[in-house]
Amino acid sequence: MGKEIEKGKRKRILYVQTSGIDTPERLYSPFVLAMTAKAMDLDATIYFLGKGITVVKKGEAEKIKLGNFPSLKEIMDQAIKTGVELMVCEQSTQLIALQRGDFIPEAKIVGAATLNDLALEVDASMWF
Amino acid sequence: MQSIKPDRTLDCIGLYCPVPVFKTRETMDELKAGEILEVLADDPAAEEDIKRWAKRTGNELLELKKEGRIIRFLIRKNR
Repeated sequence: MGKEIEKGKRKRILYVQTSGIDTPERLYSPFVLAMTAKAMDLDATIYFLGKGITVVKKGEAEKIKLGNFPSLKEIMDQAIKTGVELMVCEQSTQLIALQRGDFIPEAKIVGAATLNDLALEVDASMWF
Repeated sequence: MQSIKPDRTLDCIGLYCPVPVFKTRETMDELKAGEILEVLADDPAAEEDIKRWAKRTGNELLELKKEGRIIRFLIRKNR
Protein backbone atom coordinates (compact mmCIF):
# COMPACT_ATOMS: atom_id res chain seq x y z
CA MET A 1 0.00 0.00 0.00
CA GLY A 2 1.89 3.03 -1.23
CA LYS A 3 1.45 6.63 -0.25
CA GLU A 4 -0.73 8.36 -2.83
CA ILE A 5 0.79 11.59 -3.97
CA GLU A 6 -1.91 13.92 -5.12
CA LYS A 7 -0.87 16.51 -7.62
CA GLY A 8 -0.08 19.75 -5.81
CA LYS A 9 -0.30 18.20 -2.32
CA ARG A 10 1.62 20.21 0.24
CA LYS A 11 4.60 18.57 1.87
CA ARG A 12 4.66 18.32 5.63
CA ILE A 13 7.46 18.26 8.17
CA LEU A 14 7.14 16.76 11.64
CA TYR A 15 9.29 18.20 14.43
CA VAL A 16 9.49 16.08 17.58
CA GLN A 17 10.53 17.92 20.72
CA THR A 18 11.81 15.71 23.54
CA SER A 19 13.88 18.41 25.27
CA GLY A 20 12.35 20.46 28.05
CA ILE A 21 12.61 23.76 29.87
CA ASP A 22 15.80 22.69 31.61
CA THR A 23 17.64 22.98 28.26
CA PRO A 24 16.23 26.25 26.91
CA GLU A 25 18.75 26.49 24.06
CA ARG A 26 17.07 23.45 22.46
CA LEU A 27 13.60 24.93 22.43
CA TYR A 28 13.55 27.73 19.87
CA SER A 29 14.58 25.74 16.80
CA PRO A 30 11.43 23.70 16.18
CA PHE A 31 9.22 26.80 16.37
CA VAL A 32 11.49 28.81 14.08
CA LEU A 33 11.82 25.96 11.61
CA ALA A 34 8.09 25.27 11.66
CA MET A 35 7.06 28.86 10.99
CA THR A 36 9.65 29.03 8.24
CA ALA A 37 8.18 25.87 6.75
CA LYS A 38 4.79 27.57 6.64
CA ALA A 39 6.38 30.50 4.80
CA MET A 40 7.75 27.95 2.33
CA ASP A 41 4.24 26.61 1.62
CA LEU A 42 4.91 23.52 3.68
CA ASP A 43 2.80 22.21 6.54
CA ALA A 44 4.36 21.78 9.96
CA THR A 45 3.49 19.81 13.08
CA ILE A 46 5.41 19.91 16.36
CA TYR A 47 4.89 16.92 18.66
CA PHE A 48 5.94 17.36 22.30
CA LEU A 49 7.02 14.22 24.09
CA GLY A 50 8.86 13.24 27.29
CA LYS A 51 10.46 16.32 28.82
CA GLY A 52 9.31 18.30 25.78
CA ILE A 53 5.81 18.58 27.23
CA THR A 54 7.10 21.17 29.73
CA VAL A 55 7.40 23.62 26.82
CA VAL A 56 3.64 23.64 26.27
CA LYS A 57 2.62 23.68 29.92
CA LYS A 58 0.70 26.86 30.65
CA GLY A 59 2.96 29.61 31.90
CA GLU A 60 6.30 27.97 31.09
CA ALA A 61 7.27 29.43 27.71
CA GLU A 62 6.92 32.95 29.13
CA LYS A 63 9.84 32.28 31.48
CA ILE A 64 12.33 31.54 28.72
CA LYS A 65 14.23 34.19 26.81
CA LEU A 66 17.63 33.69 25.26
CA GLY A 67 20.05 36.13 23.67
CA ASN A 68 18.40 38.68 21.40
CA PHE A 69 15.45 36.45 20.67
CA PRO A 70 11.98 37.31 21.90
CA SER A 71 10.60 35.12 24.68
CA LEU A 72 9.84 31.52 23.79
CA LYS A 73 6.16 32.35 24.30
CA GLU A 74 6.30 35.03 21.61
CA ILE A 75 7.99 32.69 19.16
CA MET A 76 5.50 29.96 19.98
CA ASP A 77 2.56 32.33 19.45
CA GLN A 78 4.03 33.46 16.15
CA ALA A 79 4.31 29.85 15.03
CA ILE A 80 0.72 29.15 16.05
CA LYS A 81 -0.44 32.18 14.12
CA THR A 82 1.18 30.89 10.94
CA GLY A 83 -0.78 27.66 11.28
CA VAL A 84 1.79 25.37 12.85
CA GLU A 85 0.02 22.43 14.48
CA LEU A 86 1.01 21.54 18.05
CA MET A 87 0.50 18.14 19.60
CA VAL A 88 1.31 16.93 23.09
CA CYS A 89 1.71 13.50 24.60
CA GLU A 90 -0.18 13.95 27.85
CA GLN A 91 0.85 10.53 29.05
CA SER A 92 4.40 11.85 29.40
CA THR A 93 3.20 13.66 32.53
CA GLN A 94 3.25 10.24 34.18
CA LEU A 95 6.88 9.78 33.24
CA ILE A 96 8.18 13.01 34.70
CA ALA A 97 5.82 13.34 37.66
CA LEU A 98 3.70 16.23 36.43
CA GLN A 99 -0.01 16.74 36.72
CA ARG A 100 -2.27 16.04 33.76
CA GLY A 101 -3.96 18.81 31.89
CA ASP A 102 -2.73 22.37 32.16
CA PHE A 103 -1.37 22.57 28.62
CA ILE A 104 -1.92 25.51 26.33
CA PRO A 105 -5.24 25.07 24.51
CA GLU A 106 -3.57 25.14 21.08
CA ALA A 107 -1.77 21.85 21.80
CA LYS A 108 -3.91 18.87 20.87
CA ILE A 109 -3.62 15.92 23.24
CA VAL A 110 -2.59 12.81 21.38
CA GLY A 111 -0.83 9.51 22.01
CA ALA A 112 1.54 6.88 20.71
CA ALA A 113 -0.49 5.73 17.73
CA THR A 114 -0.63 9.30 16.47
CA LEU A 115 3.14 9.76 16.54
CA ASN A 116 3.69 6.49 14.70
CA ASP A 117 1.10 7.43 12.13
CA LEU A 118 2.53 10.92 11.69
CA ALA A 119 6.07 9.60 11.28
CA LEU A 120 4.86 7.51 8.34
CA GLU A 121 2.57 10.18 6.96
CA VAL A 122 4.92 13.17 6.78
CA ASP A 123 7.57 13.93 4.21
CA ALA A 124 10.33 14.54 6.74
CA SER A 125 10.82 14.49 10.48
CA MET A 126 13.31 16.25 12.74
CA TRP A 127 14.02 15.28 16.32
CA PHE A 128 15.08 17.64 19.07
CA MET B 1 -30.60 8.54 10.69
CA GLN B 2 -30.69 5.02 12.06
CA SER B 3 -28.28 4.45 14.89
CA ILE B 4 -25.80 1.67 14.26
CA LYS B 5 -25.89 -1.22 16.69
CA PRO B 6 -22.45 -2.56 17.57
CA ASP B 7 -21.69 -6.26 17.85
CA ARG B 8 -19.37 -5.62 20.77
CA THR B 9 -18.57 -2.81 23.16
CA LEU B 10 -15.14 -2.14 24.60
CA ASP B 11 -15.07 0.16 27.60
CA CYS B 12 -11.72 1.94 27.93
CA ILE B 13 -12.90 4.64 30.29
CA GLY B 14 -10.19 5.42 32.83
CA LEU B 15 -7.51 3.86 30.63
CA TYR B 16 -4.71 5.92 29.13
CA CYS B 17 -2.50 5.69 26.07
CA PRO B 18 -1.41 3.23 24.81
CA VAL B 19 -3.92 0.88 26.47
CA PRO B 20 -7.05 1.94 24.52
CA VAL B 21 -5.30 1.24 21.21
CA PHE B 22 -3.95 -2.11 22.44
CA LYS B 23 -7.34 -3.22 23.75
CA THR B 24 -9.04 -2.08 20.57
CA ARG B 25 -6.59 -4.17 18.58
CA GLU B 26 -7.07 -7.25 20.81
CA THR B 27 -10.83 -6.99 20.76
CA MET B 28 -10.97 -6.37 17.03
CA ASP B 29 -8.93 -9.53 16.47
CA GLU B 30 -11.76 -11.46 18.11
CA LEU B 31 -14.42 -10.07 15.80
CA LYS B 32 -15.42 -11.39 12.40
CA ALA B 33 -15.12 -9.32 9.23
CA GLY B 34 -18.08 -6.98 8.92
CA GLU B 35 -18.76 -6.84 12.64
CA ILE B 36 -18.88 -3.52 14.42
CA LEU B 37 -16.97 -2.62 17.56
CA GLU B 38 -17.97 0.22 19.83
CA VAL B 39 -15.14 1.74 21.85
CA LEU B 40 -15.66 4.14 24.73
CA ALA B 41 -12.74 6.20 26.00
CA ASP B 42 -12.17 9.31 28.09
CA ASP B 43 -8.45 9.76 27.41
CA PRO B 44 -8.38 12.79 25.08
CA ALA B 45 -5.43 11.22 23.25
CA ALA B 46 -7.69 8.38 22.15
CA GLU B 47 -9.53 10.58 19.65
CA GLU B 48 -6.61 10.96 17.25
CA ASP B 49 -4.98 7.66 18.17
CA ILE B 50 -7.93 5.41 17.47
CA LYS B 51 -8.83 7.33 14.30
CA ARG B 52 -5.31 6.80 13.00
CA TRP B 53 -5.17 3.19 14.19
CA ALA B 54 -8.32 2.40 12.23
CA LYS B 55 -6.93 4.05 9.12
CA ARG B 56 -3.62 2.19 9.34
CA THR B 57 -5.19 -1.21 9.94
CA GLY B 58 -7.80 -0.87 7.22
CA ASN B 59 -10.76 -0.85 9.58
CA GLU B 60 -13.52 1.63 8.96
CA LEU B 61 -14.37 4.35 11.43
CA LEU B 62 -18.12 4.68 10.99
CA GLU B 63 -18.71 7.20 13.71
CA LEU B 64 -16.90 9.31 16.29
CA LYS B 65 -19.06 11.11 18.84
CA LYS B 66 -18.13 13.08 21.90
CA GLU B 67 -20.56 13.07 24.82
CA GLY B 68 -18.92 15.32 27.40
CA ARG B 69 -15.63 13.67 28.31
CA ILE B 70 -16.51 10.39 26.72
CA ILE B 71 -15.53 9.64 23.15
CA ARG B 72 -17.55 6.96 21.40
CA PHE B 73 -16.16 5.21 18.34
CA LEU B 74 -17.93 2.80 16.03
CA ILE B 75 -15.49 0.79 13.96
CA ARG B 76 -16.28 -1.86 11.39
CA LYS B 77 -13.85 -4.70 10.91
CA ASN B 78 -13.14 -4.80 7.22
CA ARG B 79 -11.15 -7.98 6.93
